[in-house]
Amino acid sequence: MPFGEVPGAWMVVRSYSRNMGEEMSSGEPAPSRHPVVHTTALTKTYGAVVALDHLDITLGDGVTGLVGANGAGKSTLIKILLGLLRPTSGTASVLGLDPLRDGAQIRRAVGYMPEHDCLPPDVSASDFVVHLAQMSGLPRTAARERAADVLRHVGLAEERYRPMGGYSTGMKQRAKLAQALAHDPRLVLLDEPTNGLDPAARDDMLALVRRIGHEFGIAVLVTSHLLGELERVSDNVVVLDGGRLLRASATTDFMGVTGTLLIEVIGSDDAPTRMGRALFSAGVQCAPRGHLIAIEPQSAGDLDRVYDLIRDTACDLGVGIVRIQADHHRIEDVFATSGGADVSAL
Amino acid sequence: MSPPSELPGSGPGSAPASGVIHDLGYRPYSGPRLGEAQIAWALFTTGLLNAFGVGRSGKSKLLPFILLALNLLPALLIVAIMVFVQLDELPIGYAAYAGQTQMLLSVFAAAQAPILFSRDLRYGSIVLYGARPLRSSTYALMRWCSLWAALLIFLVTPIALLLVGALLTEADATDQLTEAGLAAVGAIVLAGMLASVTGLISAFSTRRGFGVVASIAVLLFGFGVIAVVQEIALQEGSARVGEWAGLLAPYALYRGIMASVFDAPVQAATPPTGALMETTYVAVSLLIVLGGIALLAWRYRKAAAQ
Repeated sequence: MPFGEVPGAWMVVRSYSRNMGEEMSSGEPAPSRHPVVHTTALTKTYGAVVALDHLDITLGDGVTGLVGANGAGKSTLIKILLGLLRPTSGTASVLGLDPLRDGAQIRRAVGYMPEHDCLPPDVSASDFVVHLAQMSGLPRTAARERAADVLRHVGLAEERYRPMGGYSTGMKQRAKLAQALAHDPRLVLLDEPTNGLDPAARDDMLALVRRIGHEFGIAVLVTSHLLGELERVSDNVVVLDGGRLLRASATTDFMGVTGTLLIEVIGSDDAPTRMGRALFSAGVQCAPRGHLIAIEPQSAGDLDRVYDLIRDTACDLGVGIVRIQADHHRIEDVFATSGGADVSAL
Repeated sequence: MSPPSELPGSGPGSAPASGVIHDLGYRPYSGPRLGEAQIAWALFTTGLLNAFGVGRSGKSKLLPFILLALNLLPALLIVAIMVFVQLDELPIGYAAYAGQTQMLLSVFAAAQAPILFSRDLRYGSIVLYGARPLRSSTYALMRWCSLWAALLIFLVTPIALLLVGALLTEADATDQLTEAGLAAVGAIVLAGMLASVTGLISAFSTRRGFGVVASIAVLLFGFGVIAVVQEIALQEGSARVGEWAGLLAPYALYRGIMASVFDAPVQAATPPTGALMETTYVAVSLLIVLGGIALLAWRYRKAAAQ
């Protein structure tokens, strides 16, 4: 895992600018030979409300995170991909099939884990997953085997034989995930799988999502309004805002090196302040960031000089250097940079 | 996981003392995938079993099987008495049996319809069906078929029992088979009407208690009111009014059709008279059956897209 932070530390709680400017990615990854999901100018309106606004996305294998605030259009997109909703305009294709024409065929090859509760309380997870595997077209014996398999993979042990009404939220989410995997789909659409989970259960769920995408070989589209989560498990991230594409690119692009250096020093209480001032007066652009000092080198060639300066300044001041590290982007920077300036226009 | 070091014989060089669970990893499925008809059949059989509480919690089997037993009890007693006393005629007609036990039948339909029609709406599991290959109209039809078949089992088993009893006492086999056959046809229509009425009520009232009460009210009290109207109409000498009123309740329709069209010994105050009225009775019965199915399909098409 690239980061050790507690997931879900950032939450999208406000509406963001519809004016994407330069942040909007026009050069998304080139479509592979057979994209898992591809949409062109996909639009869905409910009367005056625009749920999806000319959405162009292409998803490949692995795990794709779909980020957006509540109402950003995530669930609408999933329903269109499943062929349950008719788009107002534009086209979509899932596994090379048209949801409008081949809805049933898509639903055979796709698993769906809804956001909301969908488990009858008087049935055991085992019976329920067997039944839903049959509803996806598996013969009864195969359905039984698959149900036992996927319930083991999602981590439901003996409790699978108990009625689901008595399950904890974590167990319910696992049962919901199991039914989505029961028929060995080629793509699973997971709508907010970490909703309502405590941090430990959320970690387990995210690890499971990653395994599905990488070990099971099933393409995953996972939605969340928690950005930190998707940083950890997704290969690609699509950011939706008000039904529009804010950005779509590889997670590593989002989290690439910013060029900024972060320094942590140790010494007396005012060591960071003294260090910062000394560096500033030596002509280095820097600013405090928490208990760290953020330095903006002028250019890559400038780096060696800056490293030397940091070492010498620390020596002069008698402060210890704990670490010097490169600063990384976070997914939420997409919102901060593109949305911050124009919020008032909404 | 800690190694089982406390176990004897687990040291290096010796075979493990206990079995080991191998994680095979994820195994993809490459077997057959069935078509819509076979999926629909699976939904039908599961629904039929669920209607009798099979595949659900232990206590949910209680009510349907108690009702089924109570429903069969009179038929068993009749058969026992016939065999002992050597009656050569059934004390009750095949078609009249459903009228005598319509209270049990109504409670069964009212209590089991919500299991098939409300549960998936109430708990949101309809979304999971929506995301699967079956069309919502097929889903609705199969749910209806499950309830219809459950009601048919409820209605036809006592007819079959009575038939066995009648044949044991050397009654005329042809007559008995004909009468029982006609009663079975009536049962098919009655079960269809009850499935449509209770199914619709359950599909539009997602709270189970309300669905049960409303179904019983519509079936039993509805019939009670119509029966009173028919009785009064008969005594006032305007049987036609009673005949028209009979179109409003499934049980009155059933009794009217059995008494007039099939000429069976069924209690009906004002059975339809004349070909036109008889046709109207049959048409309205079929309309309730088919209209109910159509409305159910519409209801689930909306729910699945939510």
